[in-house]
Amino acid sequence: MPVKLLLTLLLMLPLYAPSASFAEQAVLFQPVVSVYTDGEGHGLLQPEGVACTENTLVIADTGNNRLLQYTVKVDAVEFASQIKMPQLTNPIRVQINSQGEIFALDGKNRRIVRLNKDGQFAGNLDLKGVPPDTGATIVPRSFKIDQQDNIYVLDIFSGRVIVLNPRGDYLRQIAFPKKSGFFSDLTVDHGGSVYLIDSANSMVYSAAKEAAEFLPLSKNMQEYISFPTCITTDNRGVLYVTDQNGGSIILLGLDGSFRSRKAGMGWNEGLLNYPAAMCITGTNAFIADRNNNRVQVFR
Amino acid sequence: MRWRPDFIIPFLALIFCLGGQSLTHAEGKFNLKPGATGKNCLNCHDGFEEILKNPFVHTPVKSWDCTGCHNPHAASHGKLLDADPKDICVRCHSKVFPDKPVSTHKVAADGNCVNCHDPHGAKYKFNLLKDGGTLCSECHKALAERVAAVKFKHVPVEKGCANCHDPHASANAGKLLKDNVPALCLKCHDTEKINFQKQHMNFPMANTRCTACHNPHGSNHKGLLYDKVHEPFASKKCNQCHEGPSSPTPLKVKAGGFELCRGCHNDMINEALTKNRLHWPLLDRNGCLNCHNPHASDQEGLLAGPMQEVCGRCHVDTVAKLKAAKSKHPPVEQGTCMACHSAHSSNQILLLNKPSVIDVCGDCHDWQKHSTHPIGDEAKDPRNPNLTVTCQSCHRAHGTDAGKMLHSPTQTEMCTNCHKEYRR
Repeated sequence: MPVKLLLTLLLMLPLYAPSASFAEQAVLFQPVVSVYTDGEGHGLLQPEGVACTENTLVIADTGNNRLLQYTVKVDAVEFASQIKMPQLTNPIRVQINSQGEIFALDGKNRRIVRLNKDGQFAGNLDLKGVPPDTGATIVPRSFKIDQQDNIYVLDIFSGRVIVLNPRGDYLRQIAFPKKSGFFSDLTVDHGGSVYLIDSANSMVYSAAKEAAEFLPLSKNMQEYISFPTCITTDNRGVLYVTDQNGGSIILLGLDGSFRSRKAGMGWNEGLLNYPAAMCITGTNAFIADRNNNRVQVFR
Repeated sequence: MRWRPDFIIPFLALIFCLGGQSLTHAEGKFNLKPGATGKNCLNCHDGFEEILKNPFVHTPVKSWDCTGCHNPHAASHGKLLDADPKDICVRCHSKVFPDKPVSTHKVAADGNCVNCHDPHGAKYKFNLLKDGGTLCSECHKALAERVAAVKFKHVPVEKGCANCHDPHASANAGKLLKDNVPALCLKCHDTEKINFQKQHMNFPMANTRCTACHNPHGSNHKGLLYDKVHEPFASKKCNQCHEGPSSPTPLKVKAGGFELCRGCHNDMINEALTKNRLHWPLLDRNGCLNCHNPHASDQEGLLAGPMQEVCGRCHVDTVAKLKAAKSKHPPVEQGTCMACHSAHSSNQILLLNKPSVIDVCGDCHDWQKHSTHPIGDEAKDPRNPNLTVTCQSCHRAHGTDAGKMLHSPTQTEMCTNCHKEYRR
């Protein structure tokens, strides 16, 4: 009898597997804490970018033209330093590489600024050796850094993703798909696949590692997403799309399938008002809640 | 129980007879006497004789088959129709809709055939209620008025809309066009003719979209160009933007994106680039052409269409929400997006055209200057320590499902969002 019971349980195990994997599926979107101010109590103003590691959070405090660094603790986020410099007048996107260097996209000057881990200016990202597609102009709308510190730049002027090595030397480029709307952001997963988010059509495109072109990953998702402006991924195979106009985060599978919608439009903690960017590390999600002038931490 | 063979033949004969009887019954649906067809109906419907005098009479009427469409006894549909009016015409006229239409006329797709056709008889071909152009103009009034008023007419339009459009559905093109542009235009206009080539500065036009520059419904501008013409185009200085007609790539533009327009509109672009927040499509691969037509347009500022349509190409969700909203903000409904937003760039989020939301609203709503709920820098929002109360704390600027464009379904719910002590 016990053998029969054991066999029955073994046969039923696959039925439980999906829910088990869902349970460990990253962020559960419980609000933990919100960042409203710098160390001196000055409020954040329209933050549009966040970058994070296990211990560090960097916020692009766009409305105040500065970056803010925080130390991430178990149940708190503590202010560490402010980075404000003439070379970075309007930070809208921010990233941290494995060496702790900070990269920030200046939306006004349309260049990527490199800072060392102490927050000192270390020059602009030169994008050396990039072939001119439609002229010398490059307009970076966003960028991301992968695990090997390669830099992926979303160049909307020439309609391409430029891949650079950590020093900023050109490696390759992937052209945007021809029939598409407007790309606001990109992300790179742990396998090296690149994903683009099309804001106008609420669609995700992907290019596998070393692929020469983007292919549609999802169908038009306007049914679920109002106006997506940011995309990121975790190490568990989930894509997180920031729905700016819908005040939500949309979870997609790596096959582009819709999984769920989190948060919602509002002012109270746990709700979002025109979220602009999102960063995930472990089970923490940091969301630049732009029109609420704060960064919320979810877990 | 076992069947005995001597019973089988009479049983089959009985089945055959019953089957035959029902077939006979189906043919004469209402068991009318021989010769007693629709003429019987005229005993009561005597006004019908006038209809029969029309030059165009619907075939079933002509053949006295009133029961082809009507049930003489009782029906679930108005006018004793035998089926839903949406379905009854397509019983015979199914071919008016192609199998895979690219575009369909809503009135036809909805089955409202009688909006255009008289189902019995009419003075006009196809039993139309009025002659083609007049009939179309009853719904497409603005276009009809424009067509009547323009100085330079397009001859096929004067002869009737059906020269270019299929009134039911098109298997080939959008806007009910019989074919795509330029194929449709090239049926009349020969690109090989010397005069045609001269007018087009010898550029190869056979594969271009004629309606990008020409208004097919007529224009006040010679050559049927849209009323607002870009100056270099009007003065035929095509080479300001394009490679010459003898180039291997004759229509190719000389620079990409906004860089092409910068040559003349340098100040405008430079000013846009000094602002903190850009409308990013301005700097993408299409640049200015995302919203503007570089040659001619019937819109101010050479916009590529009415403003709500142009903005709505990307901001699909905003337009969809507006359409669904019960309370709508009139400027948004009227498509004057730029009443509040700057199209190119701004120092404010959402590309607002003034530093404060309160000032943007104050342009029209001056009551807020003398009597209002506390708003502004001194009025802290109790829901969020980093927010002050603005118009948008309670109202959503484009419209909502609630009255007065409130975020919450009811006013009570909206107020008690902050005034929690009054919650019940």
